[in-house]
Amino acid sequence: MAYLTQPDYVKYICSCGQLKPITSLYFCRHCLKIRCGFCICHEVDSHYCANCLENMPSSEARLKKNRCSSCFDCPSCFHTLSTRATTQQRQVLQDPAAGGDTKVESKQPKKMYYLSCFNCRWTSRDVGIPDQPVASGGWPERTNPHAARVNQLIDYYKAIAQQEKQEKIERERKKFNIRGKYITLTDKTGLTGAMARNIAGLPSSESSSSAIANFVPSVATAEVDELPEDIFTKEVNLNQITSMPQRLASPDWQPVSVSRLHPLAKLLSVKRSQRCRACDHNLTKPEYNPGSIKFKIELLAYYHVPEVKIISHEPVKPGEKTALFLKLTNPTGHEMQLRLLQPEDIPPPEEKEEPKSIDKSLERSLVLEKDTTAFKAIERQPNISATSRVTSPGVTLTLAQRDDAAEYDDDAQHDTNDIILWRKSNKLGVRLELDTSAEAVGGSPARALVALQYSYRNTVPPAPSAAACRDHTLYTTLLLDLGTVSSN
Amino acid sequence: MALYEGIALIQEKQAVVLDLGTDYTKFGFTGEAAPRCIVRSEFWSAAERRVRRLHDYATPDELYDNLVHMLHLLYFRHVLVNPKERKVVVVESLLTPTLFRETLAKVLFTHYEVSGVIWADSPRLCALTLGTPAALVINIGAKEAEVAAVVHSCVVLQALVAQPLGAHAVHAELARLLDEDNGATLDLPDDVIEDIKVKTCFVSPLERALQWGSESPPRAARSVRYSCGARGSVTVTGRARELAAEPLFARDHELASLPDAVLQSLARCPRDARRALAANVVLAGGGAALPGLRARLAAELRRLRAQPPYAERLHVDEFRFHEPPGHGNALAWLGGAVLGASDAGAARALAREQYAREPRLRDWVCLLDNTPPHHPHRAYLDI
Ligand SMILES: [Zn+2]
Ligand SMILES: [Zn+2]
Ligand SMILES: [Zn+2]
Ligand SMILES: [Zn+2]
Repeated sequence: MAYLTQPDYVKYICSCGQLKPITSLYFCRHCLKIRCGFCICHEVDSHYCANCLENMPSSEARLKKNRCSSCFDCPSCFHTLSTRATTQQRQVLQDPAAGGDTKVESKQPKKMYYLSCFNCRWTSRDVGIPDQPVASGGWPERTNPHAARVNQLIDYYKAIAQQEKQEKIERERKKFNIRGKYITLTDKTGLTGAMARNIAGLPSSESSSSAIANFVPSVATAEVDELPEDIFTKEVNLNQITSMPQRLASPDWQPVSVSRLHPLAKLLSVKRSQRCRACDHNLTKPEYNPGSIKFKIELLAYYHVPEVKIISHEPVKPGEKTALFLKLTNPTGHEMQLRLLQPEDIPPPEEKEEPKSIDKSLERSLVLEKDTTAFKAIERQPNISATSRVTSPGVTLTLAQRDDAAEYDDDAQHDTNDIILWRKSNKLGVRLELDTSAEAVGGSPARALVALQYSYRNTVPPAPSAAACRDHTLYTTLLLDLGTVSSN
Repeated sequence: MALYEGIALIQEKQAVVLDLGTDYTKFGFTGEAAPRCIVRSEFWSAAERRVRRLHDYATPDELYDNLVHMLHLLYFRHVLVNPKERKVVVVESLLTPTLFRETLAKVLFTHYEVSGVIWADSPRLCALTLGTPAALVINIGAKEAEVAAVVHSCVVLQALVAQPLGAHAVHAELARLLDEDNGATLDLPDDVIEDIKVKTCFVSPLERALQWGSESPPRAARSVRYSCGARGSVTVTGRARELAAEPLFARDHELASLPDAVLQSLARCPRDARRALAANVVLAGGGAALPGLRARLAAELRRLRAQPPYAERLHVDEFRFHEPPGHGNALAWLGGAVLGASDAGAARALAREQYAREPRLRDWVCLLDNTPPHHPHRAYLDI
């Protein structure tokens, strides 16, 4: 079970070796394996603004630097800014030439808008941004003060790279000419280097050399800015100096003074889809609508893997056998056969591929897009040290399928025996024995390992080529957190 | 030829530039003038229920996990692009531990499946933002101050000098001064110390600094009441405001101060490059943003140049300082953004296929990478 505020008492071992609670695990129906956030591939699905819940196509988001054009954050406290309206008496001075001989002064109430923070009372008027006549958008956009210089630098280095490449080609050609005196390909086709560049839309060599010639390197000066004279006598007003988070919120300007803070256009959020690395199938895919929290595909382990919760347990004592009560739940729509095993009883996964030499498999991975080497690289040995193990009762437990209507039946069925405490629709309470090693030190964390063998019916329509095998026997290993080993 | 390359350039996704600093991480796109985000190099660890710092690790696996979490945060929360099939320019120090580089390469190539990585060292990138043939780059980071000479886009390796004189040294001194002046062990958290430094501290001019060490200290600047929320308030005296950065300039017998590091670096450079380097000094790194630091460093350099052991060795007459086209804390990043945008950078990328074939990174300390092609030893190295 996973808790919001408490530690995770029951952790599953993911196929990649990570220990995670069932709520943060996925289940790939194609590989029939548990996956987790660490071993799956995350992808940006869609961009949206978390404030106005407006979708933004990726191309537009790229253009707008992933910022919403109508929502702003407070540059002072990062709270969302609100648009406030004021009515302004605007004096419209009519042009005497157009309006006749007399000057007509008309007073026209007009709505003007400014941005204000409800949290810290910062307003766009504080920093001298003029009010806007429209409610959304129209706020002055600023460009980086060094943008022009940076573009010059980029053009300069591009030109240099171009020239170097040109010189290299020239050198090669000379070598070629001397050796064989053949005509080069470009000469043969009548395509000169300049023309080829023109066709490719690249700047001609003349312009690249002009970019180099016109470039002015940065000029160093001997004078350096001294401290302002009044720094030794002036009172420091902490409210006028920005903090590091305030500066870094706008990396282009990093204002030092509070009076230079500008509204921050809200950063967009993304919806992510997640993919199994081994088979490239989607594990989750969200709905496009930003307001929806639903998924089109949602292969969570919580819906496919039996859930184990600890009901209670006796204090764990070194070298002793103590009782452990667990609740097992079958979340699937099919009856489930379940056995409790020792972790080492899990048969090794059958390797479908015949072992190959490393070179060969690497070469294959280079040719094919889908390679499993990436997944293999992420896998690691799980870090598990258990003080106790759960004795396997050696019986197969049958869990009924999930039945939402049965939730309302109150009375639990009492076909109890040594192991089964109670049974209620798809849930089962079991009494188990916990065998703690004598070496366990009192006060150290008590952990128990248990493996589950469960039947799983795959509801994915089988591919026409694949053998239609629907029922599978799957295994998973769990680590139970049982507090600490008692010392007496 | 050129034709096909042109098409390839259009189709290529805009590369990202990554600078994983000790305290702050800078991340954004190539070709842009500033990073999209400058965030603390830390992330929330759900398993441990605490904030973890990226550079706190005991084992390679821990570092791998840290990098996976940090990059996830950067790609999906800040920059909002798919890491897959996109190139990365990694801005690194020349002194980045090998384990860190190799783990980062593994995470980028295998976990995030990036198409290529361009490894670039920060001195060269800082020099790139100037466009001058020679530059003396003084990078004051969180932990260390590194002085490197860059001549025609090559780092003069024997002139690389690093001293533990970064922002952390200033923080430690400020914490000590605050304890002293408030008469209590305040034990303020790092971010509060940083905030006090950013809002109140400055570097005193040379004459005043000398006066502080003499019998008659100068009149201190105004003290400030700094309120730390529930902890009550702290008095930041004028003395603390002014002297917090003094460790950078404190000279002992080992000559380990920041100006000494600069002069030592110059002294190790080829004689004919020294004047050009001294006339092209650039300060980078977040630690260089303290008011008055540049002026003080300039004054110290001009004073020490005429003193032994530098007077008879250096023969440098003038120090000139650059005003780079970006903020100091993101200057190396900016160099990466410029490099990545020009084709020269793309050509130097380590491609994913190449890494898959041979997971090895070029490193300046490795003989395989630093032996010139016609050197007699080269034949033994090419296997
Ligand atoms: Zn996993
Ligand atoms: Zn919005
Ligand atoms: Zn606010
Ligand atoms: Zn799969």
